[in-house]
Amino acid sequence: MKKKSLLTILITMSGWIIIVMYLLPFVWMLGTSFKPIGEWGVPILLPQNPTLKNYVEVLVTGGIYGVRGHFPPIVRYLFNSIIVSVVVAFITCFLGAMTGYAILRFRAGGINFANWMLSLRMIPPVVVLYPLVVMTKSIALYDTLGGLILVYPLITIPITTWFMIGAFKSVPRETEEAALLDGCSEFQVFYKIALPQATAGLATAFIFAFLFSWSEFLIPLLLAPSESAMPLTVFAAYFSNQYGILWGPLSAAAVIISIPVIVLAILIRRYLIRGLTMGFVR
Amino acid sequence: MKRAVLPLILPTLILLLVLVIYPTIHLFYMIFQSFNPLIDVVPRFAGLRNFFVLMSDPEAHYAIIIMLLLTTITTPIQLGLGILLGILLTSKYLHGKTILTPLLLIPVSIPAVIIGLNWKMIFFTKGPLNAFLESIGIESQPWLSMPFGNPFNTIFCLAILDIWQWTPFIALAVASGIESAPIDVREAASLDGASETQILRHIVLPMIKSVIVIIFLLRVIDSLKIFDIIYMLTFGGPGNVTTTLPFYIYKIGFTLTAARADLGYASLLAVALLFIASILIVVTLMRVFNIKKVIWE
Repeated sequence: MKKKSLLTILITMSGWIIIVMYLLPFVWMLGTSFKPIGEWGVPILLPQNPTLKNYVEVLVTGGIYGVRGHFPPIVRYLFNSIIVSVVVAFITCFLGAMTGYAILRFRAGGINFANWMLSLRMIPPVVVLYPLVVMTKSIALYDTLGGLILVYPLITIPITTWFMIGAFKSVPRETEEAALLDGCSEFQVFYKIALPQATAGLATAFIFAFLFSWSEFLIPLLLAPSESAMPLTVFAAYFSNQYGILWGPLSAAAVIISIPVIVLAILIRRYLIRGLTMGFVR
Repeated sequence: MKRAVLPLILPTLILLLVLVIYPTIHLFYMIFQSFNPLIDVVPRFAGLRNFFVLMSDPEAHYAIIIMLLLTTITTPIQLGLGILLGILLTSKYLHGKTILTPLLLIPVSIPAVIIGLNWKMIFFTKGPLNAFLESIGIESQPWLSMPFGNPFNTIFCLAILDIWQWTPFIALAVASGIESAPIDVREAASLDGASETQILRHIVLPMIKSVIVIIFLLRVIDSLKIFDIIYMLTFGGPGNVTTTLPFYIYKIGFTLTAARADLGYASLLAVALLFIASILIVVTLMRVFNIKKVIWE
């Protein structure tokens, strides 16, 4: 028994030390976000004179740092990020549910369609981005929120579809078959019987799509060059330029971008691995 | 075909037609064109010229090699560390898992751009890493800065970033693989007098072998997408040392100040990336992922 308690102490301590050490870079950023300008270059983890100035500047007033640069408040970009992510997540979780249901119950398109859907998740998006830039320019959606909402499903549809396949699998077939016998059409069965039973899965798919849209960088980098549609991820790059890096505001902005995704990821942690491995690891 | 199928998949099909099929066709049209938006008004037909350029472009070859090299460095290390961490996470002697697991989700969930910015801070010449190295008597290094640093420092930095970002993901996947292994088998072995390490070696690891193979393939395929951290951390530099193929496509196609901007050539590079990705994907889907079983059985 003594050996066991020793093992417990040893493993628990090493586990905690490893993981806390592992997160030090993130903690460093968290610390820097509360540091006043004089401490940005000081290599001490925690701020000596903690301040909220960085957050106030980033969120409300904007900041002017002479030759080192200046920046407007991020409200506009935050708004862009939220609108695009919410709309894309909303649209694609339903599209994913419809497609996933068709693949699962009706084997729509057979094995090839399922394979293709999965491969879309794996193809690097940079491959098709130049034609998409041309396309959005030609239909006047370049540099608009609408353009981003149109293109983001490239990333999110394969994920939500694949996730919803898994969600519908756990819905019992019997109720659906009973409804069919009662004279419901297959489409009615989908939205009256199957979908309500998969609400939890649908919510998780929504969060997944939101996470991926929120974090997307490459698509808006190419499709949204001005403030009319630029999301936070792209704007964050502007805190570091050739004159110097505004460490404090940069860290504050990075923390603001990170908090929602960390919270949401923790919320769906039970499904996160399944979603990220396309259901191949449960 | 059932009547409900079409209305269910039609919206998605139309969207994917616009977002995937049309761009792919456009891409294959563009590889025979030459188009520098700074000079040309419309694309000019260039025949096979782009192919000859690709064959004699050392930067493109380097970009492909460095992309694959980065993968071969990072994936085994991530996998090794991830498996160890995953085993630690499922150890029954570890307390506080309910707090530790969410903490590990931080590197998995924060946007790659933020990870790039975060580590730029760490690798900064007057930053914490150098301060730490100096305090233990190692000379500080210009990890990222251009003219005087060792260019391969930056490759090392990128590898560290990628490993940091994905090791927790692998650990969590391995942990969930271990936890889904039937617990009674482990208990039976334990009752038979097998030690912890024996159980791990002979029962748990063989059980999660398939999980490890799948994660390995997903990581290799996903590593072809790495872009954000390169953009933030090094912008492909110094010189072109960290310019991987996706970043090279971006440079040729989208940084229009470049004298060599050519969307025709960028399209050919994109097709090359698509080709490499497709080989990996087809091998993966055919050999390892049993889609039929995962979906319909």
